[in-house]
Amino acid sequence: MQFFGGSATTEASLLPAAPPGTGAGGPGNNAHMLYIFNRAGVCLLYREWNRPLRTLNQQQDHKLMFGLLFSLRSFTAKIDPTVVEKGNLGVPLLPGQGCSFYSFKTNTYQLNFMETPSGIKLILITHPKTGDQREPLKYIYNLYVEYVVKNPLYVPGTPIQLILPVYHITSYSSSNF
Amino acid sequence: MAPLVPKSGDAVFASVERVNAELFTLTYGAIVRQLLTDLEEVEEVNKQLDQMGYNIGVRLIDEFLAKSNVSRCVDFRETADVIAKVGFKMFLGVAATVTNWDAEGTTCSLVLEDNPLVDFVELPDTCQGLRYCNILSGVVRGALEMVSMKTEITWIRDMLNGDDAYELRVKLLKQVPEEYPYKDDE
Amino acid sequence: MIGVGKAKQYGNVLDKPLSRGRQEVSLSAFAFLFSELVQYNQTQVDNIAELERRLEDAGYAVGARVLELLCHRDKGNRRETRLLGILSFIHSTVWKVLFGKVADSLEKGTEHEDEYMISEKELLVNRFISVPKDMGAFNCGAFVAGIVRGVLDGAGFPAVVSAHFVPIEGQQRPRTTILIKFAEEVIKLLLQILKEFFVFVARKPRKSQYCP
Repeated sequence: MQFFGGSATTEASLLPAAPPGTGAGGPGNNAHMLYIFNRAGVCLLYREWNRPLRTLNQQQDHKLMFGLLFSLRSFTAKIDPTVVEKGNLGVPLLPGQGCSFYSFKTNTYQLNFMETPSGIKLILITHPKTGDQREPLKYIYNLYVEYVVKNPLYVPGTPIQLILPVYHITSYSSSNF
Repeated sequence: MAPLVPKSGDAVFASVERVNAELFTLTYGAIVRQLLTDLEEVEEVNKQLDQMGYNIGVRLIDEFLAKSNVSRCVDFRETADVIAKVGFKMFLGVAATVTNWDAEGTTCSLVLEDNPLVDFVELPDTCQGLRYCNILSGVVRGALEMVSMKTEITWIRDMLNGDDAYELRVKLLKQVPEEYPYKDDE
Repeated sequence: MIGVGKAKQYGNVLDKPLSRGRQEVSLSAFAFLFSELVQYNQTQVDNIAELERRLEDAGYAVGARVLELLCHRDKGNRRETRLLGILSFIHSTVWKVLFGKVADSLEKGTEHEDEYMISEKELLVNRFISVPKDMGAFNCGAFVAGIVRGVLDGAGFPAVVSAHFVPIEGQQRPRTTILIKFAEEVIKLLLQILKEFFVFVARKPRKSQYCP
């Protein structure tokens, strides 16, 4: 039996909502939001530092984000001019199949993306002038491995509610972009 | 950013934190002993060890990907090779070899000559039928499933049963593409 | 049972030289294995105390074998017969073999005779742990407490051993202290309780039991 795991939600609220140096466009922080999804589309972790406009409820928001990346990956692979072999648009890809995109930019924000062959998707939304974020995303993936995956008390595939990993991941993301 | 080159098994093993293999071996022994006491039936123990291995594989794959710089596992041949040379080495400190490919390239053998799970182990007669290392096949199955490869794994050789090496037969059943995980939009 | 570390009557294991302890596996391989040990045992229990007890049992089996291995390997070493000797053997030799370092400290309890504490700022088994609130004081160190108990028991010093988190000032993470109460102390405690019980019973007017 599992005699714990349910009430851990209270923990997340113990965390500093916005670590030092964050908040509405404060200096040294260009991170807006961070999402970590697993292959099943479960949002394992979501944090936000600067997101004044919210039009969707959280669940819809996560679904939309996941769906966007899912389709975008399929599109980017389809229009890749460098390869001969192409899947049909809409035909699901194997993880790691085809080319992979790592960011797109609008005039107001930049979306940074990393996907592992195991289907973990990391999304970091930052200020459009923050540059290449692949290394930092890899670092966050490493934090996820060290503090979440190796924790015996973490049940794979469930939202991350343990203090330590959330603390490390969010404080890194908020202070390094 | 230059594309990352996957590291060799030796390089990864040298770069990760390590512990004395005896702590690992003895802890595994304690687990098997606990299972034999709890479950009594050798067959049940085999099943539980396989399940535990699977659970480990599901987690371990991310550590493997993060530390080895392997960024794609699409081709089964390549994947089997990288598991044997990098995966086994990175975690257990010993590399496996890949042999006996079938004509279709969907079945191969992973052969281990040294296996830290079994130092000091001898199966007494009362444990006949126990697959002491069953956790290993579970790990490989779990890890491959996370990179979308459904496999079936069987033991061919087992040194604890007097064979000259450990041999796992890995058969690729199918590769599962990523699917949109949500039901129809409401 | 699996004869891990036991004297073997079989040929092929004997033929193999006893490992000199230089082989290594990755820390994460151990972390994943340990994680499964914890998760499996969670399915077997109803409460935290029971979970800790089962981890301690698993550790005990490891401890007993570590003692055998080390005694076998260092043939020059006689078995420790002094209490302080065996404690420092655990604190230094056993710790070094299992965890790659000597334990941070070994202290004598201030409140009780025959009570000792081995402390570690970051115990290997607690490295990747952050305990959810609803698991209260659960400490994976119970496994290490079991190892210590196994070694002590094998050396002829039965003891009650437990693991506790102790907060350190100015640090985010508490350290783990392995508390060792030797059996003598435990027996004294039990005797004391028994004595009090008898005094209590003796004081009770016995007759009242039979009076209507």
